[in-house]
Amino acid sequence: MISQVFILSSKGDHLIYKDFRGEAGKDAVNKFYEMVTALTGGQPPVVMKHKELHFVHIRQGGLYWVATTKADASPFTIIEFLNRLTALVKDYCGCLSEKSVQMNFALIYELLDEVVDFGYIQTTSTDILKNFIQTEAVSSKPFSLFDLSNVGLFGADTQQNKVAPSAAATRPIVSSQGEQGGKNEIFVDVIERMSVVIGANGVLMKADIEGEIRVKCYMPSCSEMRIGLNEEFSIGKSQLSGYGAAVRVDECSFHQAVRLDEFDTYRILKVCPSQGEQTVMQYQLCDDLPTAPPFRLFPSIERDSGGRLLMYLKLRCDLPPKSLSQELSSPDQSAELQPKNKAVHWEIPRFPGGAQLSALFKLEVSGLSAASLQEVGPVSLSFELPKYTSTGLQIRFLRLSPIQPGPSQRWVRYVTHSDSYTIRI
Amino acid sequence: MRSVMFRFHVCAGEIFELKAELNSDKKEKKKEAVKKVIASMTVGKDVSALFPDVVNCMQTDNLELKKLVYLYLMNYAKSQPDMAIMAVNTFVKDCEDPNPLIRALAVRTMGCIRVDKITEYLCEPLRKCLKDEDPYVRKTAAVCVAKLHDINAQLVEDQGFLDTLKDLISDSNPMVVANAVAALSEIAESHPNSNLLDLNPQSINKLLTALNECTEWGQIFILDCLANYTPRDDRESQSICERVTPRLSHANSAVVLSAVKVLMKFMEMLPKDLDYYGTLLKKLAPPLVTLLSAEPELQYVALRNINLIVQKRPEILKHEMKVFFVKYNDPIYVKLEKLDIMIRLASQANIAQVLAELKEYATEVDVDFVRKAVRAIGRCAIKVEQSAERCVSTLLDLIQTKVNYVVQEAIVVIKDIFRKYPNKYESVIATLCENLDSLDEPEARAAMIWIVGEYAERIDNADELLESFLEGFHDESTQVQLQLLTAIVKLFLKKPTETQELVQQVLSLATQDSDNPDLRDRGYIYWRLLSTDPVAAKEVVLAEKPLISEETDLIEPTLLEELICHIGTLASVYHKPPSAFVEGSRGVMHKRLPAQGTECPDVGNAAGGSAPEAAPSIIPSQGDLLGDLLNLDLPAVLLPLFNTNCSSYGILYPQVWLPAMKAKGLEISGTFARRAGVIQMELVLTNKAMSVMTDFAIQFNRNSFGLAPAGPLQVLTPLGPNQTIEVSLPLSTVGPVMKMDPLNNLQVAVKNNIDVFYFSCQYPISMLFVEDGKMERQVFLATWKDIPNDNESQFQIQDCHLNSASNKLQGSNIFTIAKRTVEGQDMLYMSIKLSNGIWVLAELKVQAGNPNYTISLKCRAPEVSQCVFQCYEAVLKN
Repeated sequence: MISQVFILSSKGDHLIYKDFRGEAGKDAVNKFYEMVTALTGGQPPVVMKHKELHFVHIRQGGLYWVATTKADASPFTIIEFLNRLTALVKDYCGCLSEKSVQMNFALIYELLDEVVDFGYIQTTSTDILKNFIQTEAVSSKPFSLFDLSNVGLFGADTQQNKVAPSAAATRPIVSSQGEQGGKNEIFVDVIERMSVVIGANGVLMKADIEGEIRVKCYMPSCSEMRIGLNEEFSIGKSQLSGYGAAVRVDECSFHQAVRLDEFDTYRILKVCPSQGEQTVMQYQLCDDLPTAPPFRLFPSIERDSGGRLLMYLKLRCDLPPKSLSQELSSPDQSAELQPKNKAVHWEIPRFPGGAQLSALFKLEVSGLSAASLQEVGPVSLSFELPKYTSTGLQIRFLRLSPIQPGPSQRWVRYVTHSDSYTIRI
Repeated sequence: MRSVMFRFHVCAGEIFELKAELNSDKKEKKKEAVKKVIASMTVGKDVSALFPDVVNCMQTDNLELKKLVYLYLMNYAKSQPDMAIMAVNTFVKDCEDPNPLIRALAVRTMGCIRVDKITEYLCEPLRKCLKDEDPYVRKTAAVCVAKLHDINAQLVEDQGFLDTLKDLISDSNPMVVANAVAALSEIAESHPNSNLLDLNPQSINKLLTALNECTEWGQIFILDCLANYTPRDDRESQSICERVTPRLSHANSAVVLSAVKVLMKFMEMLPKDLDYYGTLLKKLAPPLVTLLSAEPELQYVALRNINLIVQKRPEILKHEMKVFFVKYNDPIYVKLEKLDIMIRLASQANIAQVLAELKEYATEVDVDFVRKAVRAIGRCAIKVEQSAERCVSTLLDLIQTKVNYVVQEAIVVIKDIFRKYPNKYESVIATLCENLDSLDEPEARAAMIWIVGEYAERIDNADELLESFLEGFHDESTQVQLQLLTAIVKLFLKKPTETQELVQQVLSLATQDSDNPDLRDRGYIYWRLLSTDPVAAKEVVLAEKPLISEETDLIEPTLLEELICHIGTLASVYHKPPSAFVEGSRGVMHKRLPAQGTECPDVGNAAGGSAPEAAPSIIPSQGDLLGDLLNLDLPAVLLPLFNTNCSSYGILYPQVWLPAMKAKGLEISGTFARRAGVIQMELVLTNKAMSVMTDFAIQFNRNSFGLAPAGPLQVLTPLGPNQTIEVSLPLSTVGPVMKMDPLNNLQVAVKNNIDVFYFSCQYPISMLFVEDGKMERQVFLATWKDIPNDNESQFQIQDCHLNSASNKLQGSNIFTIAKRTVEGQDMLYMSIKLSNGIWVLAELKVQAGNPNYTISLKCRAPEVSQCVFQCYEAVLKN
């Protein structure tokens, strides 16, 4: 049972405060801010306790979203709820920022009133809530190319054509037929996160992929959407995939609203997309990747005669090369020593498939011994691969019914992120 | 903070301006003004002065404006209770509005105005809304009952809202069901003994049906409610599990965890050889693994829960070791939790993999993490015997890196390895000794000194090494000082000739120059031992030490069981029972896992009066010495003795009422007896915990015959560990009365300094038979005729071989009034009077040569007949 919900700016200003059960005072807000700013790195910030009150919070859009409880409530429920709340606010207000929350406080209060009653969570579905919400959203910046909140998804491809403008997906779903409001758009994103461990001997020790299909819908009158996945898509380890490029995952879970009657035979997901964003499918694949991991590293570490540490790193990208070749050594590369983390940070803005980059780092380390070479490593990579899924999952088609009147746009985007890509030395 | 600074600066001018705008005729202007008021309210300004003006805006058909006004009302009504009454009329009117949104809004807001005066006006509208045709209104009203209960519990009971709420569990709309369940669950928590939720197979079935249809949040309420149910048998528990399992693939991790909780609990009842048990185990693994792909916050919470699950049922995740491998970019709190789980899952099958990982971790940057990784290697060595050698060599590799904190951690764990595998890895001591100088942490120094002392005979220069520590004796921490003292004494006992001086030195340092009493005492003890009896000293100081085991860092089983019942909640994150951090009565009920293979609860106790199945419990199962001795010949010799002695009182053999497992180490067993007209409860309290128990007290719940303690529980001295005390508690029969099922059930609460424990037991009803229960013949005849025949019940007592039943029965205050013989049949007429004045009349038919007796019982309260019959059976057969 949630006792209070409040939203704070990063500086601790009260943006929203709502008390559901009248069992805790408003001073809890300041107490929370004191506690959260006093946390040290090693302490788990998830659940904090002050006297009889327990705080659960998340950070999104630079804001603290906090719920308190006095009972032995479930932190899972509360964290999930806060995540949904941020999604709802994002759906209704367009984006998450201090400004948009401030401007739409009346709307957010109204939302909170419908979403939680006496601490019991009622619903977080945008569709159901639409029937109750009266206040209209105030958009802070209706349409701005400088809004970079979604840039990460498209990576460097933002400037290229074929991609939806970044701000298109950051507007309120239920804006009144405003300037750009009537646009019928639907975004389907396939996002995969990859965690890989490659041993010092070059053997792949672990490779996991967590993926999800996310739909963001701006269609007011879409009753059914059919998403076709690869026909040879299979779930579970037992099924033998036979020949060819079967796409396989270990585990799959679906959003409650997804109907699966055509899934077993045709691999079609049927969704009635509610306006706003939702994750329709999540899947995982452990160990058995269909392709080799995208990056390999060939390191050599030694001590030179002057007692310096020499690190010669050769990094190869094993993705299929694109037809358009790019210059190899990008001039934008940079490297930097970060003494605080005891790490060297090597940044490569673009890395075409099939290419290879190398770097030589010379480091002065005091008291370097043969044994301390053992301490070097591991190498951790973070990257983003646009238009690529490592499981091979593809959206075969995207059909909407009834046929949308007027121009409608459907965007399908793929991206693979590194979650944790570690190469040991 | 900005808000605080502004709080005192709402100037009169601003208020005045807002007032004017609030009273404006234009709707838009009004709305904007109310918005401004609420904005000020949020940042903490005091705008309560505007109360009447805002309330005036309430009567509007604009829903948006209405909602804003209600928002204001909820915030300020409590501070202005008199003015809040002004709003009541509008609320009552709104509850009749044709628009369901407005009806629901009104009833929701009214419940949030926590003013006592308003509650009486709330009742009528609430009653209507609970029966509203619109499900949105009904679900809001269901929550409102909980709100009202929070303000005025008595009112809710008096108005019968609880029954209406119970009806809503069968509502057609799943949302309404979910809210009704949530509200009832919360209300039930404040009445631990009431049967509000009344979970039975039918209602469970309804809940399971609603589970499939309602929203994810509703599913959580229902699952949490299901978790409180105890199925009757393993078949029911399996069928519930089958219907809950689909929830495991839900996208909402809170639903998944609640489902896991239900399954973990009900699994306890399934026989392990069942196929389904294995299937279920397999099904539990993937969802738990999926939880680890969430955000770090959720991951952390998930890991804390998995830590519990792994301790309870390691088999679920035994093949999933890899998912707990640490990722480079995990936050440190996630890393540490993962490490802990890795060790718990380590086994012979995966140890090579685990060790390779741990070795990697030991070279990372974060110091805390590295330390824990090194310790983990040691714990693996202790847990998986086959890996010990490999662990030791890994540790030696790490020592070679000469990284200071790695070396120190490694030495600390190697000491533990020595204690687990003595005389096996001493070859590494030489390497350890090389690093003596770099040790600057007390724990590592103490560990090293212990190693030197323990293996003094194999280290040539042990005396030099220890002497070097002795120089700065007074600057060391106590831990090191104590260790040094012991190590030098050990050395002396092993090599007495060359170390006499050293031991003198340390003894005088410890006894004369130290202020620390522990150190001084230990020094004196050694001194005296050495000077009086060196042989004894050797036996004491160099005695063989018990081996250590990996179980030391496991959560205590009783606590673990309780925590498993709280999977997914804060308790599972803190690893503390809810009673440790939740105030008041809410949530302090101690939950327990059901016992495996329990049949219907009354079957075991049906025999009430006689208790042949209770016999095994006489012998303590703990396997202590006394128990073993008794075990040899007790069943044959002692049992008959017991029977003849006690039958006249109709006593039960002592039964274990509260096992130590369930009461943090307190075991309670006992019997009932009637002595000289006084009912006695004979309790045996055994302390099986490690700490002393004090402050005992006892209380009974209301029961059928008003049994209550006639005095306090006389436990005057504290009960030490492993101590047992027998207490006799006289009972009176003038306590509060409530009919129990079964009739002779007694619910008892025992308190001590640790906690309050609840158990229930059954007493033989013969205890209540009073001494003046002999009826006059005439009265007997009249009464027998007077009691309607419907109240007569007949029973058979089989295999009875008695010469004189009546004498035997008289001992239990069952009085024979008359006897006549008809056609070879003896007819005995008997009367019994219960302590509460109820008379029971009996007719016993005994046929010569037939061991089966027939008994007819007549009583104005026919419910007692069954119990009385059981007493007859018990008395006659013994």
